[in-house]
Parts: sequence; structure tokens; C-alpha cells
Amino acid sequence: MINVSDIQRFSLGDGPGIRTTIFFQGCNLHCPWCHNPEAIPLRPQKMRDPRGRERVYGAPTDIANILAVVEKDAAYYAESGGGVTLSGGEVLLQAEGAARLAAALQAEGIHVLLDTAGDVPFAAFQKVLPFIDAIYYDWKAANAEDYRRRIGGDFARILDNLGRLIEAGCAVRVRVPLIEGVNTAPDYAEQMCACLRQVGAQEVDLLPFHRLGSAKYRALGLAYAYASVPSMTIQRAKEIAKIYQKYFKTKIEG
Amino acid sequence: MKTTELLKAEMAQKPEGAYAPYYFKYLGYRQDYTAPKTEARANAVYALFTKPRAYIYKNDWIAGSIRPLWVQAGAEGLVYAGRVVPGYGERDFAQNVDHFSPDYRRLVREGVPGLLRSIQKSMRKHAARPEKVAYLRAMRRTVLGWKGMIRRYAKQAAACGHAAGYDEEKLGFIQKNCEFLTEHSPQTFAQALQLVWLCHQSFLYEGRAAMALGRMDQYLYPFYRKDKDEGILTDAFARELLENTFLKIYEHRAYRDVDETINICIGGTSPNGGCDVNELSYLILQAVRECNVPGPNLSARIAANTPDRFLDECLQVIGTGLGYPALMNDEVNLRALRGYGYAAEDVYDYSMVGCIENFLSGRQPPWSDGRFDAPRFLEYMFNRGRGIRNKSVGIDTGDLSKISSMDEFIQKFERQLQFGVDEYVMFFNNQNTRLNAEEYEQPYLSCFCEDCIGRAQDICRGGSKYPSVHGAALMGIGTVSDSLAAIEQVVFTDRAATLSDLARALKKNFAGYEWLRQKLLAAPKYGNDDWFVDKYAVWFVDTLARLFSRYRTKDGGPIYIAMAANISNIYAGQTIAATPDGRRSGEALSDAASPTYGCDVLGATATLNSVARPDYTKVACGTVLNQKFSPGVFAEEEKRKKLLALIKVYFRKGGQEIQINATSREVLKDAMDHPEKYPTLVVRVSGFSALYVTLAREIQEDILRRTQQE
Repeated sequence: MINVSDIQRFSLGDGPGIRTTIFFQGCNLHCPWCHNPEAIPLRPQKMRDPRGRERVYGAPTDIANILAVVEKDAAYYAESGGGVTLSGGEVLLQAEGAARLAAALQAEGIHVLLDTAGDVPFAAFQKVLPFIDAIYYDWKAANAEDYRRRIGGDFARILDNLGRLIEAGCAVRVRVPLIEGVNTAPDYAEQMCACLRQVGAQEVDLLPFHRLGSAKYRALGLAYAYASVPSMTIQRAKEIAKIYQKYFKTKIEG
Repeated sequence: MKTTELLKAEMAQKPEGAYAPYYFKYLGYRQDYTAPKTEARANAVYALFTKPRAYIYKNDWIAGSIRPLWVQAGAEGLVYAGRVVPGYGERDFAQNVDHFSPDYRRLVREGVPGLLRSIQKSMRKHAARPEKVAYLRAMRRTVLGWKGMIRRYAKQAAACGHAAGYDEEKLGFIQKNCEFLTEHSPQTFAQALQLVWLCHQSFLYEGRAAMALGRMDQYLYPFYRKDKDEGILTDAFARELLENTFLKIYEHRAYRDVDETINICIGGTSPNGGCDVNELSYLILQAVRECNVPGPNLSARIAANTPDRFLDECLQVIGTGLGYPALMNDEVNLRALRGYGYAAEDVYDYSMVGCIENFLSGRQPPWSDGRFDAPRFLEYMFNRGRGIRNKSVGIDTGDLSKISSMDEFIQKFERQLQFGVDEYVMFFNNQNTRLNAEEYEQPYLSCFCEDCIGRAQDICRGGSKYPSVHGAALMGIGTVSDSLAAIEQVVFTDRAATLSDLARALKKNFAGYEWLRQKLLAAPKYGNDDWFVDKYAVWFVDTLARLFSRYRTKDGGPIYIAMAANISNIYAGQTIAATPDGRRSGEALSDAASPTYGCDVLGATATLNSVARPDYTKVACGTVLNQKFSPGVFAEEEKRKKLLALIKVYFRKGGQEIQINATSREVLKDAMDHPEKYPTLVVRVSGFSALYVTLAREIQEDILRRTQQE
């Protein structure tokens, strides 16, 4: 069983090709800009879906049931070079389940991509790595203080894990959410790059902030710190990208 | 400025007076009021083609405009003409008058002289049959009239030479081509295109609408190839010629405030299994994109062997927001048409007319179709044979409380549909015979359909190679499937309500029954890849295909079904009471083959998996599936590749058609409030594209409601 927050078919932004994204319930970080707030608590959450009906997000789900949904789009993965993305929440808080699901997908020849924030013991990675084709690795701040204060993360562990994955030859793309006031100032961006260069990162995707998740905060009865922050313009994202482009193969997503 | 913009700018100046093609017909009729009917019609057409002054644009390489059809207001006889001409009868859509794809392949091969030679030859063959000779004489007279029209354009080009703002080179080009075409078959790409365009104009002069240009990339290709090989044509110039041609379709919007739906078909499959996409297919795509006007209704026949590059170019044009080309699954259409026993080579040469209607190019009479509002028959079932919202009358299929299973419900509903189909065909047949072919002949049109000249027979009286077909466009597959699934779930599975409860709720438009409506809304909905409800969509197509197949048109042709609504789903919905899917009284029915708007919530793959389930090889007329993607999806090649994969898999699974709006919701919303900001915003409406700001508000809202997939 896996606590699944949601399953999103026809995902175009979560990796190569047409994908189905499995959102795992529960996260050990608390990024205030998060666009999937319903997936943060470890326990299942009740929230109204886009059609206005109450739904439970994060209920324990049989791997067989997940596979049944995933298989419906097998032809689309094959044609487009797509597959399944494990996302969340933090997938690796349920590393056992993730490994079993990924193994089952691999057995069917379906490409599996892991999207993680990386704040877990490396042992959790080791459980899933044999069954994973590629990794999207979030990178959000440039120092231990910011990681701890802003999102409750362990900077050293996250950076160390990233380094070990790269060293092990995993196909890793670093994903940086661009949040004004957090990580977009030029000198700060340089520090972000310095961290990534230190561990040998090659490819970086920049994810400009958008506030499409604000309706979810309302539905959950939560305050959203970024409710009044406008979505980042593409021009602004391009400015920031210039810094990353100096060191990495850089792409702006979204 | 680009040439397309210059030409469009010229159209800003509207012609003065009244649009009055009937006036010129009147001039023909009055030559001999006692003439036999065939001759009288030929006289009218002759006058129509030869009396109007030709008009040539300053920035044009291809002549042929509807501008000459405007007559000075108050002109002598205009009012009188308006009384005389209807006395001769004007056929309408239901009587096979437009929505036709002419035999342009033969026209460009043989030209005007070839047509006249064929008529002459047939006259000798039928010399002993005076009625046939008379008909052929009428044919010849109309063709001579058209020849006169071509000559007028040549002369006008010569005359324009002295007027300000004209370009000598362009005028000389037009003059030379038109002069040549009066006496010869076309020799160059430009001449072939000029001939086809003037032929198309002649049909517009006659007042026919939605006359298709057919498979232009096929019948023009030999000319393109020859000119290219001889080094007398560049791709840039070929494209400019095509742009000049297509942009004039915009005349209808500029001068008459209507949008034409001129179907142009590109791509497809050859009888030997090869792919028909050629250089011209790409040039046509690019020209249509450059024109950026509603009217050239581009259809692309896509098969498994269609190159990805071509499909990607199609997506790029769609991505501009134009809404076309509509993408047609060639394999499904070929299989559907082959089921009617047409010769294989004729099936492979099919094109589309109007919106999406499959047509045997130049081999069958003009199209006719109608709409079948299937959800209305649920209303009769729940109200003992009477309408709830309107005082319409159906049949009574008995007391609902006696129905004890879903199977039984379906059986009774099928009886309702059978009655509906009987009624539909009765209405159509009566309409269709009103201005019957015997009295209302079409000698001119018949010249452009195999084998009317050879048989010396009118296109609607057995002259055409194949008999007429009719398309019954089924509306509300989503509404009906969702309704049946909701009944199965709420009444027969959960036992949460009885059919009698439901009948009361529907009559009251759910007032006091919101609890029941919520349960109905919670039942599975079409478009979510769920067999529980998708099975009813499969049943819907199978059942109605069977019920309509019991009938023939009056000349013995088949009645096809279409999964299309052409915005009638909005108006039909306004007359239909609440339905068991939770839809309130008066709301739109589901559109065409699409799931009910907003009900398919699992993304495009789930939607397409559902929509691909019915057997579209039974849907010979064609299908419309509207989908909406944000413009961003089209902007990058990487994302387009995903879309391309999506469409290919959808077609492989048996989907028949997909057409895409690429304008973002935000833009559409803003255009509703600030139409002045978006005078040129073209969107896909149904089987056609239109300027968004010219659409009625409820249609704009409907487009806005279509589920956006990304």
C-alpha cells in the first residue's frame, strides 16, 4: 500500500513524453510556496476536487490499483517516450512502497522518473535506485540556515545525497523553483550555482513561481503566504536563467 | 506590408449597393419567360455568369471575386427581380444544392474546351433522345456562360491597366491566364489554380455555399511538379498564388458578414497504400496559416504512414489559434466508406465538404444533413410520450415503475429512438422532395460531377456515378451516455431512487430534488476512461447506426450518421427538459462526439481513450471532437511531440477526428469583455472556424467551457 495523494494522467510537465504522475502523500519539508499543499501532511486530507466534490487525498492505495490506472495510458507512454513520474509530497518517505511500485513498472517496461526533494537518508534512495530511470532533484536554497529556517530541510544531507547520486552515475536533473525573495537575487543565485557545481550537477531546470495552487489552500482552509504574489513572468525567469546558463545546461519549465 | 495584408486591406472597402445575384438570374429568366424549365435555368445561369462586371484586386495574381454581385440600390428591376426569381424556385440545403466537392481533377485536366467537347460527344451519343439533347444543350449554355465569365476577367484585366494603383505585371499575368483558359486546358500551376478558383466563383455566383475545393494538393500537383521541373515556378510564388486564392474566401466575412466554410483537403492515402502528402500539402498549410482568416476550412487526412513532419506542421498551424486543420483519421474514414460498396479508387479520392462530411469528390450529388437530438427521447420516456419543456409529442413506452432492470430500460429507450429516427427520416424525405430534381434541375453543377455529361442526366436524377447520401448528425452522445450510466448507478445499482422519483425530478427541473441531482452528478461520466459509462457511448453509435441504416435517400443512397452537432447542441438543449445526467432544463447538450463539457476531468489521455471506444467505421459522414490546449503546448517542438504522440495513439485506437483550439481561456474571456481588442481572433467553433467576436455570447461561453486539457 502507498498513501497516494493523487494520480494525474496526461502530465506534460513532469518529465519526458506523456506521463502519469503519482503524487505520494506526506512531505518532511514545508515550503510556503508549495502548490500541492494537500500532499504535505502525512495523514489523508479531505478537500473539494475541481468539480466541487469532497474527496480524500492521500488514502492508502493498493499498488495493483495504481498499476491499473497507469496501464490505461501505456500506448501513449510508448509512442511519446513517456512513462510514470513518482512525485509528491516526498516519495522517499514511503521508500518501500515506492520501490515495489517502481519495480512493477520496470517489469512492464515503463520508464520511471523519481521527483524528490532529497531530505531522506541515502538508504531510502538505495531502495528505489535499481528501478528508477531518471531523477528530478529539487534544489531550493543556497545554505543550511535558509534550508532550515524557510522549509525545515537539512541542507548538508540534501547536498550530500545529490552528490552521491551524481557520483553513482544516476541521470539527475536539478529542479530549482524560482521564488522571489528566496532564491532569485543575482548573488544568491550564484551561491545556488556554487553548491550545485560543487557536487558536479550538469543539467538544471528552472521552475518559475506560479500561484495555481492558491485555490487548494482555500479549499483546505489554510492561509497561503504567496496568495498575493503574482506568477513569475517568462522575461524575469530568463534573466535569472542567464546566471545558471553560465554553468549548466539550463531549461525554463512551464 | 505582406501581400495578404495588402489584399485584406483592399477588402476594407465594401462594395456599394445590394448583394443581389438573383438580379442577374432575373435578367436571364426574362429573356424567355415561356422557355421550358431546363432552358430557363440555363438562361438564368448564363446571364448570371456574363452580366456582372468582373472585379480584379490591385494586389492579386488570381482573379475571381464576388464583388460583381452587388447591384446599385434602387437599380431598375431589382425589386421586381426579387419577385420573379423565387417564382422559379430556389433549392435549399435539404435538396442537394451545395456542400459539394466538384470534379476538379477532371476540370484541370481537360479545361473548358474539354467540358464542351464532352458535351458535344454526348449529344451525338444521345441524338435520338430529345430530352437528353435538350439537357445537354442547357449544360453547354451554362458552360459557355462560364467561359464568358472567364473572358470578362481577361478583358477586365486589360481595362484595369489604365486605372490607378494597379500593377502591370499582375494584370498581364491574369489577362494572359484567363485568355488562355477560355480556349485551352491549363498548362501551368497558376492557370490550373486560376481555373479552379473561377469555377468555384461561378458556384458562388449561383448562390451555393460551402462548395469545397477538394484535394487541391493532389489535382494541382502534376502542374506544380511540371512547373518546378521546368524551373518556371518557385515555392514562394506558388505559396503566394495560394494565399491570394484563399484570402478571397474572406470576402464573405468582409462584405456579407457571414463566414464561408470552404473545405480544403490535404494529405491522405493512395490506393496502393502510399502516402499522398506532397510539397503542395505543405504549401497549402503554410498559405492558409499566412492568410489567418476564417473560411478556408482545412482538413488533413492523417494515416499511420503520414510523416511526423507533416503532422507537426499541422499542429503548428493549429497552434496559431486558427483551429484548423481538422485532423481526420484516414484509415477509419476509408474503412467506413468502403462499407458502402463504392469503387476503391473513388473511396481513396474522398474529400470533405462543409465541416467534416466525407464526400466522394465529384462523384455524388451535393450533400444534405440534419441533426438528431437523441436526448429528447429520454424526455418522452420519462413523461409518457409527451414533452416536458415543449409541447412536443413522441410515443408512450409505458409506465416507468414497471421497468425492473437496466436491460429493460435500454430496450424501451431503443424503441423511443426508433420512433425518433422514423420521424427524422420522414421530415427529411418530405423536405428533400419539396423542390424535386425533376422540376428543379441543375445543368451547370451537373457538368462537374461524373458521369452526368456522359449520361446526359441531371446530378440529382441519376446522372452522378453514385446516388445522394444524407448525413444524420447525432447530438448528445455525452448527455445520453451519462444519463444511462446515472440511471444504472443510482436506480438499478445503488437503489437510491426509483425511476418514478427521477421522472418527478426531471419534470420539476430538480426543484426539491437537489439530493437526487447530486447522486446523478456523482455517477461516472463519459470521457473518463470508464467502461461503466463508455459502454453506453458504444451502444449509442451501434444502435443509431443500425436504426438509420434501415433507410435510403430517395434516389437509393445510404443514410450515414455523423457525430457532429455544429453548435445546434446549444439550441437543441434550449428546447429539452432536464436529463438524468443531472443536466438542467434548457442547458446545452453535449457537443458533437465530445464528452459533456467539464465532465472529463482525468486529462486528455482518459478523454481520448473514452472517445475512441465507439466504432467509428459505422460513422461514414464523419466526427467532430473538440479539444482545447493552451497555446504554450504548441510553442515548443518538444511539447508538440507529446501532442503528436497523443493524436497518433488516439487514431490507432480508432478515434475518427480531432480538432483543436489553441487559444487560452484567459484570451477568450478577455475577448468577450473587450471584443474591440480582438478583431482578428479566429477560433474553432465546431466543424468550422469563425471570428470569435462575431459569435453569439452563448456560443462564446460554450467554447470557453470546453475542457482545457493542459
